[in-house]
Amino acid sequence: MKRSFAVVTDSTADLPAEWHEQFGIEVVPLKVIFGQETFRDRVDITDEQFFSRLAASNVLPKTSAPSPGEFAQVYQRLARDHDGCISIHIGATLSATAEAARVGATSVEGFRVEVVDSQTVSMPVAFLCHVAAECPTLDDAVAEVRERVSKTRVLALLDTLRYLEMGGRLSRAGAMIGTMLDLKPLLLVKDGEIKPVDRVRTRSRAIAHMIDYFRSDQPVEYLGVMHAQSAEDAGRIAGDLRKELPDQEITVGQIGTVLGTHVGPKALGIVYIKR
Amino acid sequence: MGAPAKLVGVDGPLFKRALLGSLSWLAANHEEVNRLNVFPVPDGDTGTNMLLTLQSAVEDLKESNAAEVSKIAKLASHGSLMGARGNSGVILSQIFRGFARAVEGKSTLTPAELAAAFEEAANAAYRAVNKPTEGTILTVAREAGRAAATAASAPEANVPRVIAAAAAGARAAVLKTPTQLQILRDAGVVDAGGFGLQLILEGMLKTFEESEQFLQTLAETKKPHAPASQVSLALPEGGWGYCTEFLIEGTNLDTDLIRNQIEALGNSVLVVGEPELVKVHVHTDDPTTVINLAGRYGRLMKINVGDMSTQHRRILQREGAPETEGAAPAPTRANGVGIVAVVAGRGLVEIFRGLGVDAIIEGGQTMNPSTQDMLTAIESVPYDDVILLPNNGNVIAAAKQVIGLTKKKVHVIETHSVPQGVSAVVAFRADRPAEENVRAMKAEAERVQTIEVTHAVRDTRSNGLKVKKGDVIGLINDRLEFAGEDYGEVVNKALGRLGPDSYELVTVYRGEQASDAELAKLESAIRANYPGLEVEVQQGGQQHYPFILSVE
Repeated sequence: MKRSFAVVTDSTADLPAEWHEQFGIEVVPLKVIFGQETFRDRVDITDEQFFSRLAASNVLPKTSAPSPGEFAQVYQRLARDHDGCISIHIGATLSATAEAARVGATSVEGFRVEVVDSQTVSMPVAFLCHVAAECPTLDDAVAEVRERVSKTRVLALLDTLRYLEMGGRLSRAGAMIGTMLDLKPLLLVKDGEIKPVDRVRTRSRAIAHMIDYFRSDQPVEYLGVMHAQSAEDAGRIAGDLRKELPDQEITVGQIGTVLGTHVGPKALGIVYIKR
Repeated sequence: MGAPAKLVGVDGPLFKRALLGSLSWLAANHEEVNRLNVFPVPDGDTGTNMLLTLQSAVEDLKESNAAEVSKIAKLASHGSLMGARGNSGVILSQIFRGFARAVEGKSTLTPAELAAAFEEAANAAYRAVNKPTEGTILTVAREAGRAAATAASAPEANVPRVIAAAAAGARAAVLKTPTQLQILRDAGVVDAGGFGLQLILEGMLKTFEESEQFLQTLAETKKPHAPASQVSLALPEGGWGYCTEFLIEGTNLDTDLIRNQIEALGNSVLVVGEPELVKVHVHTDDPTTVINLAGRYGRLMKINVGDMSTQHRRILQREGAPETEGAAPAPTRANGVGIVAVVAGRGLVEIFRGLGVDAIIEGGQTMNPSTQDMLTAIESVPYDDVILLPNNGNVIAAAKQVIGLTKKKVHVIETHSVPQGVSAVVAFRADRPAEENVRAMKAEAERVQTIEVTHAVRDTRSNGLKVKKGDVIGLINDRLEFAGEDYGEVVNKALGRLGPDSYELVTVYRGEQASDAELAKLESAIRANYPGLEVEVQQGGQQHYPFILSVE
């Protein structure tokens, strides 16, 4: 079945590699910049290369959104054999990517681009792309995706707050984490906001708290477990969840380089779209 | 015999003199009580705690001319309750409370009534303690009461003899305490709290044997230094106003009415007392109006107005802490629950503040804050539910006294150590109701293991361990377990005892006296022996304990 419209996202969606082919989803990379060197997320640098550089570097890399021009190029290419596209991106409160997409879209005449601010990050964006890809028409896709935006959740467990804080993505105002103690904060991304929901001293207790929180937030339509260089922990969490939810498909994925810059190594996440 | 008529019974003025005698005698000898410390750790000083409690007991009655013994006893009871510090201070306050109850409504006491009041005082102390232990101040109070009763039943009984018998009974009981408690026997000392009570009774007796003038000079020359504990709070907008305190002396004073009126003029309002004497404490921007209002009810005494913004700045300057912080805690918390903690050490104070604690009472190991200190901090917090973390075994009893002294709902989580306190606060969540928080915080506090490392302050045997003065000693959850030559050795043994496989993280709170080299050495010793444990170092700045470790 050939869709008449295209589905576009960006590299922070952590789209499983096979979905690109399988569902025909287009990925526009963000960039990560180490000093003078610029890499396109997951194009010029692999996740493994990135995290070993991150660990070795004493300054935090910078990240940047794709330019409107880069989006325009993609849309122009897609305009050749599609009559429109839905472009689903990382939350506008977290990145300038969605805004760049919107501006880029205005320069492509005669091609309908529906930009969706997902208000979330990581694999829930990929889930939204999947929802869109399964729709027969662009109008349906836009309606189905928009309806789910407020149901996306990212439950993130950071091994340290250092990266998020250095990247300026979280204010310490939530007094819960305003301390010099190295707490493991459990964060919830919902409606485009990052909120601390719990804080724990040790990793194993933090994982237990994260799973407990997820248990109280069911049922779900889509479910994934994300990790940054912590495949073993992610596998264990997914295994535990599969026992509890035998009928639920659970996708395990890696956090990409741009997001990795902000969450730091060993971050874990349970990501889902609520029913 | 020829005893003067005024000595037939104990009236208000006589009882007041007796208590002043107790105070000066205890003041003269409290260091000796301090030296009876059973444990080789630098500990809360029993003598100092009892002295400060007794000082608070006589604070208000010094100004009173009440003729009735019941009124003086009531003032002493209330004053000691507010000033209670440490476990022995709390028990002492209960002794005063029992005494006051027993003499309620009486203007003078016969020798028999006095003896009965001593006995009831001991009973009240027993009732106040969860698990009464013999060989402590409780036993001494009971034996003093018994001896007093025996003396009162003798045909030639008089007041001085009853008190003399009580003091002698106390002394005999104190000497026997090592036969009742193994720890006293091991340490070769008598019970400190019991000895303190003996001194208090002896001091009363001196009132009859010495001239008034002599007592006066004794009281003047033996002024104890002020307690070091101090409430430290975040500065609210517009400053603190003035801490205004005074006594109202009058007739048929209605404390509820006065409280209602004063509450409209400020916060942290405390109005307590009797129909004849009321103590008022309020933080207000307008002390003049408060004083004018109160003056309508009776004669004002001991008026004390302090500018708290100045005081607060002074405290902050002394601490060297910044006056304003980048991210002040939000003034309103969804669940309406505040947190107050007893903490000492600059780094630890910052850690607790950063975790969201609303008010900190500086104190702990060797400077146990009083019930009043904690009450003031609790009243300063803008929440009606307040969780109180004593963070030290010696502070728990005084902390529990706060419940019922305030209209606020106070939840004491019995944290015995800094690591327990940190674990408890970490588990606090602003979106959870008080009871749920208390449950979760208790559970987290119990999960963590505490290792405290210090130097023995004396030779002793404790818990089957021979310790020499100056040795490095390690305590696991308040229990002396290891002694050795250096920190690394003792800590490694303690970690081995806990079983490192069941734990992930060791947090080292470095004390004031630990050097960089000692810290580095300790860190590498832990990492070398227990590679599976994550080690985090925090600057605690606490005194007396070069290292406190949290194992979880």
